[in-house]
Amino acid sequence: MIRRADPRIAEMSGAAALPRKSGELVFHDPWERRVFALTVALCEQGLYQWDEFRDRLIAEIAAVDQAAGTDASHSSRPSYYESWLAAFEKLVIDKGICTPEQLSTLTAEL
Amino acid sequence: MSTEHRHHDAGPDPRLEKHLTSEQTQSLEARVKALESLLIAKGMVAADTLTKLAETYEHDLGPMNGAKVVARAWVDPAYKQRLLTNATAAIAELGFGGLQGEHLVVVENSPTVHNMVVCTLCSCYPWPVLGLPPVWYKSAPYRSRSVIDPRGVLREFGLELDESVDVRVWDSSAELRYMVLPERPAGTEHMSEEELAKLVTRDAMIGVTRVSVKS
Repeated sequence: MIRRADPRIAEMSGAAALPRKSGELVFHDPWERRVFALTVALCEQGLYQWDEFRDRLIAEIAAVDQAAGTDASHSSRPSYYESWLAAFEKLVIDKGICTPEQLSTLTAEL
Repeated sequence: MSTEHRHHDAGPDPRLEKHLTSEQTQSLEARVKALESLLIAKGMVAADTLTKLAETYEHDLGPMNGAKVVARAWVDPAYKQRLLTNATAAIAELGFGGLQGEHLVVVENSPTVHNMVVCTLCSCYPWPVLGLPPVWYKSAPYRSRSVIDPRGVLREFGLELDESVDVRVWDSSAELRYMVLPERPAGTEHMSEEELAKLVTRDAMIGVTRVSVKS
């Protein structure tokens, strides 16, 4: 089976658009690539519709924009994939896949 | 890199800059690792699926869009005119865009004019229609020799042009990306738009080869 990228994911527009440089996806660190893959994988498994994640992503980014306000510096502003991770954690909890306590315990252990 | 080089690429995008300390990165790594191990333990994802998934999206762009644009221009003269006048708007008609402030210009090949595209300073490329640039396009030899000795470069790609053909080299920049509209090959009069699109190659749209009817 030839796997194809889902345009609804690959071609999101506006603030939710995947960061690209000359078309290439930009992942600064492995965790960004991995959280991207996790989110897409669970959607492919049918655990949620892509829109359900996308809406949360847009909300996280909007919250970042609001909080940043007139702050001109970029250095403390959560990055795109930080917003993505926050949105994904919330989605996973909302879907009952795990509890916030399970996640924080596991995070502390690893 | 010189300052000139930095301005050459589409402008600073804060989302592309990294500002995390190693401590912050470790914390994020831990959160992702927690999710990953939990989901794998529950059998919801497999580790190798994740790797392949990321690769699919990293390599998803290809020149199929450009091929459709070319085929449409070949069968529809009015579309071709719109494409040559305002390529950004014309490709948007077919649903292709994402250039975000950059403009696309399409240059037409003819029996007397052969166009070639390069980005001499870096690797500016019309990715919404051509996908990701090939390694050779980004290489220093291609970037310098295309302007100094375009016929020599074309010869290496197997294209020998008659002296009567004017070779024009277009230098893409952050603001203007060029794509070549190749000549429609003879013997394709009976083909559908879809069949025509299959003939169009990325290299022909960069301008280092011509489109031919495959046997």
